[in-house]
Amino acid sequence: MGLAVEANQLVKRFTGRSGTVDAVRGVDLRVEEGEVFGFLGPNGAGKSTTVRMLTTLMTITSGSARVAGVDVTVDPDGARRGIGVALQEAGLDPRQTGRELLVLQARLFGSSPSAAAGRAADLLELVELVDAADRRIKGYSGGMKRRLDLASALVHQPKVLFLDEPTTGLDPASRLTVWEELRRINAQGTTVFLTTQYLEEADQLCNRLAIIDGGVIVREGTPGELKAELRQRAALDNDPSLDDVFLDATGRTRERVAGQVREVLG
Amino acid sequence: MTQFVVLSRRAVREVLRTPESLFPTVFIPLFFLVVNVGQAGRIFPTGETSFLEGQGYAAFQVPSALLLAASFGSAALYLVEDIEGGYFDKLRASPVSRTAIVLGRLSAEAVKSVVISTVIVLAALPFGISVASGVLGFVLLVTLAGAWAVVFSGFMQLIALKSRSAAATQSGSLVFFPLLFLTPNFVPRDLLTRPMEIAATFNPVTYIMEALRSLILDDLAWARIGRGFGVVALFGVVMVAMNVRTIRAYD
Repeated sequence: MGLAVEANQLVKRFTGRSGTVDAVRGVDLRVEEGEVFGFLGPNGAGKSTTVRMLTTLMTITSGSARVAGVDVTVDPDGARRGIGVALQEAGLDPRQTGRELLVLQARLFGSSPSAAAGRAADLLELVELVDAADRRIKGYSGGMKRRLDLASALVHQPKVLFLDEPTTGLDPASRLTVWEELRRINAQGTTVFLTTQYLEEADQLCNRLAIIDGGVIVREGTPGELKAELRQRAALDNDPSLDDVFLDATGRTRERVAGQVREVLG
Repeated sequence: MTQFVVLSRRAVREVLRTPESLFPTVFIPLFFLVVNVGQAGRIFPTGETSFLEGQGYAAFQVPSALLLAASFGSAALYLVEDIEGGYFDKLRASPVSRTAIVLGRLSAEAVKSVVISTVIVLAALPFGISVASGVLGFVLLVTLAGAWAVVFSGFMQLIALKSRSAAATQSGSLVFFPLLFLTPNFVPRDLLTRPMEIAATFNPVTYIMEALRSLILDDLAWARIGRGFGVVALFGVVMVAMNVRTIRAYD
């Protein structure tokens, strides 16, 4: 197995009127082909910035990255051919129909008109949007938009699929549907790079995960390895949850206030 | 080429699916045409005013209406919607030529402007206006208006890409008013006061307006027509190049 994603000392520095901020500070990542890799972190930790650099949407300040075997800085178009991207905001054009959007996306990746129409029909079936295919996207529910966004990231059968918080804002039923899709896509050989705020989601789906905080990777391993390490280090009687691993890794703890559990800085 | 064609079709579809945005683009220029002619028409009577070449003052004012209509582009606002909604990132994450992304929208503006210019000229015909340069002149007239739409929408797209804000983009369109009014808008350049004449001479829109006007009032005056097309070609290349460069550097 080769590497689907490889990042070496990745840095992103933003310079503005109020000064310089290093959003990502020397991230190293190795994701094997065929994995579902979870990338976790609190808000503002550098998850989305890392994903945007890996998907060619943001320039890299220093360091290097290869996705689907291609250096994203040297050959960005080559990298784009090998990846599918679904970001936090479902990137859809509300004035088009679902079918038009998928056909257009397939045509942009070089499919002929008939091949694009065929691929769009297959994907609409895959994400269960056949009945809504010829309706304008502005009328779709949040879950339908997410599924269509996922489908549009798959039109060219990418080697690596980047998903940035694909289930944020979805109801539990829609979330389960997306999970099923991801398992099916991964079973067909596509590597999935997933960022999520939902630790249960990471536990359910990911073979391996990394936790980023303050722009640096603070934990990396399989969910089982990370739990075992915490249990041993903290001398716990029972297996900790992934929530416990996350809170330990990011220096946060939980407190109960007025009957609700909330995170506080440790 | 395929990418340019599919993105152009998408942009045209976008325009057709928001017909309400077309109404002010036709109505406001016709409104200004009627008001300007109503206010100044008696000062320049037909037959006694040499620069009208035998036509009414409305014929002299039609180019202003065409330029105003061509400057009401919606491409930049649709682009801001794409940026805010995430679709622009989807396009950027695809192996799509950045030139195709820019030209896709601008070509739809050109098509829209040609159609609207045709409507404005046809609406003006019953009021005694004729296109003195004939059918070829009419084609050149609407083509030049369409080309100006590409230039001005390219400028607006640049603001949209830099600001990523609908409010800033909309404000940027106001720059058209000084550009339009620092031209021989109401009288030929040689009748302007000296300061206005100097300002008009340095304003590129002057040469487009004079080319449009010559197509309506004169036979094919190739020197003037050539200057008009030369200006839109020069600024068109600059705008497309700046748009492409901005998308390539977009973070």
